[in-house]
Order: sequence, then structure tokens, then C-alpha cells
Amino acid sequence: MDFKDYYQALGIERTASEDEVKKSYRKLARKYHPDVSKEADAEARMRDINEAYDVLRDKEKRAAYDALAERVARGGSPDGDFHPPPGWDEGFEFHRGPGQGPADHADFSEFFSSMFGEAERRGAQRRQYRARGEDHHAAIEITLEDALSGAEREITLRAMELDAQGQPQFKPRTLSVKIPAGVRPGQYIRLAGQGMPGHGGEPAGDLYLEVRIAPHRLYRVEERDLYMTLPVTPSEAALGAQVKVPTPTGGVVEVTVPRNARGGLKLRLKGRGLPGKTPGDLYLLLEIALPPADTDAARKAYEELARAVSFNPRSQLGV
Amino acid sequence: MVSISVSHSTMLAAPASGGELLPASELARACGAEIEWVVQLVEVGIVESSAPAARPDEWRFMAGDLQRALEARRLQRDFEVGLDAAALILDLEREVRRLKAVLHAQGLRA
Repeated sequence: MDFKDYYQALGIERTASEDEVKKSYRKLARKYHPDVSKEADAEARMRDINEAYDVLRDKEKRAAYDALAERVARGGSPDGDFHPPPGWDEGFEFHRGPGQGPADHADFSEFFSSMFGEAERRGAQRRQYRARGEDHHAAIEITLEDALSGAEREITLRAMELDAQGQPQFKPRTLSVKIPAGVRPGQYIRLAGQGMPGHGGEPAGDLYLEVRIAPHRLYRVEERDLYMTLPVTPSEAALGAQVKVPTPTGGVVEVTVPRNARGGLKLRLKGRGLPGKTPGDLYLLLEIALPPADTDAARKAYEELARAVSFNPRSQLGV
Repeated sequence: MVSISVSHSTMLAAPASGGELLPASELARACGAEIEWVVQLVEVGIVESSAPAARPDEWRFMAGDLQRALEARRLQRDFEVGLDAAALILDLEREVRRLKAVLHAQGLRA
């Protein structure tokens, strides 16, 4: 396990004030926001930044982390491998009060989990209150094929468990999750009792898995509908045609392209989208593909077309 | 490594699909918040109850509501934005994601 330098992650000095921590976090969170960032590793950076901020924004955690960092700097570990010294957090107590928002720890590093996850829990035990465990959140990416026909997928999470001595420990845990057919992007699968353990005999929290669908070569998913670009030749578009189209479930259907079809025309195949109580539709977006004029015959055909049809596509331009 | 097969999983509802609806109290808990906060979300229109009712404890929510509520919670916590600004950011995010998916489907990179 690597020792994580949270100050470096936020690009600040060890002496940074609370305000500087906040400002730096906000700047970086904007820079690496997955919807905005052009950086390839934006998502991983965002996780690091969130983790660093979770520790440094909190006075108790920051003080404990500083004390640990000092011990590491003094002692050093020659192989670069880091293990927290036993009792490193003695005298510190971590609270997760209400109003701190969702517990995102499932995403955080092993370093974080072994430091603060366990310590937070021990703090809670010391105070001996009774509370249901916190709900946890994670995401699972599936293929479009999984969404269409349902699947069983495994997801590995770092989760807290009690060992034989009753001591809480973070362990990788693999859950086998049933993905129902027709699941949409942004839907959640709720796993009862798979969140954080409860305190004082109360039940564990739940785990909410957000479903993401990986980009597909042919189809784009929007809610329960699928979209596909359907290339046709100018003659097929002009004269109308029957063309073969692959369906997401692996079949092939014949589709009628109407006469005088324009590029961008949307054809709907009802009920061929994601399955469900009301199944989604498959939309075909017509795209006119020009045959290349790379032979004498092709060039001649284009010339004949130009002679036969007087057509000015620029009539709207006023020149 | 411990492997556990989970049998008691449920899917949260989405429009026009079956699934479990989330009561307001459970939506609040999933976000580490109180039910009063959910009432505020409904007031600004970040989430919308699928079961119209006067009393918040009768409200029921779908998967999309949970997604938006979690995002709003993070925006509030990390940037201290007001809920109206959070609502606008969420709408813009959704539009950016939709447009990026369109570009991706056209073979263009956003």
C-alpha cells in the first residue's frame, strides 16, 4: 500500500489554512469534473481529490493524518511500502455527523479505508450509540447486451467486516449482482444490508449500485430508446429501398426507406429498444453515404445525373 | 477474498418500467440527509414524487431522483451552492451528457 500525500493531491502546502484547502479543492474539482475535463485520467484524479478533501477538510482527520505523516517522514520505509503503525490514531476520534452527505468511501483508496474507515467506526463504537449503518454507493458498468438480456455480474468492493475477534477490518468483497433485463443507464440496484454495518445491534445500511452502460459500437442508449446511424446510398434515399438492419438482440430486420428520404430522417422500429413494461424503441438515423467517383463508370454516372437533374443545393445562399 | 451471492437485490423504478419506488425517508437516508431536505428538493424541482401526496412521508421516488439528489448533495457539500443553482447545474450536466452521447454516436469525440 502506498502512503498517500493528500496535500500534494490538492496542490497545497502543509500549512494551508482551511480556506486554502477549500479553495484549492473547488478549483481542482472544476478542472477534473468528468463532464467538463479534457484530461484522460479525469475520473481517477477526481477520486484522489475527493479523498484528499474528505480528510483535509475535517479538523480531526487532518490532525491525525498530519501526525501520521510526520511519523512516516521520521521513520521512513525503505521499500516504499506503507503500513500504518499500530495505534497510530490513538487519541483521535472521527465523527461522521449528519449533514455530511453520502458516504462515498466505497470509491476511496485502500490507504484511506485502512486509516479512516475503521477509525470512524471505532469512534462510533466508543460512543456506543445505536444507529443503522450508513448506505453506501458504487457504480457498475455493464454492456448493452447485458442490459438487453439481463446478466449476472461480479463487483468487487472494499467493505468492512468483523474478523474472528470481532474487530472491524476492510476486506475486498466480491458481490454477485443480478442485472435485470431492461435496466437503463442511471437506474439503481439496491442491495439490502450490503452497506456499512450498524452500531449497537441496529441493521446494516444498503448498497446502491448505479448502473452505467458502456458505449456501444452501433447503438446509443437514451432512456429506454436506442439510436443507430443507418447509412444509405443516394439512390436508395431518392428511390426508396428495402435495407437490412441489425437489431440489438442479434437479429436482422428489413426496413423500408421511403422515397425522397433526406439525411437525418428518423425511422422508428417500435419496441426494439430496451425491454420493459413499456419497451423502448429503436431509432434509425438516416445518413446518406456518397459512392466514391473513383472509376470511369462512376464518374460517368455522376455526370449523367448532373445533366439530367437541374438541382442547386445552394439556392438558399443567395449567390 | 470472500464471494457472496446476493439474492435480495431490488431495482429502483424508472419511468415506464417496473421496480421499487423509494420513500422520501429512504431517499434522505441514502443521501445522508434528513427528510426536510427532500422537501426542499421537491420545492425547487430537483426531484419529483411519483405519488402526488400532501404529506412527505407518502412521497415515492424513482432511480433518476436518487441520482439527482445525490449529485445535489455533493454540490451543496463541496461548493456550498444554493439548491436553485444546483438545479441549474444538474440540468446543464444532463444536457452535456446527452450531447456528448450524440457526438460519440456520430463518431466524433467531445
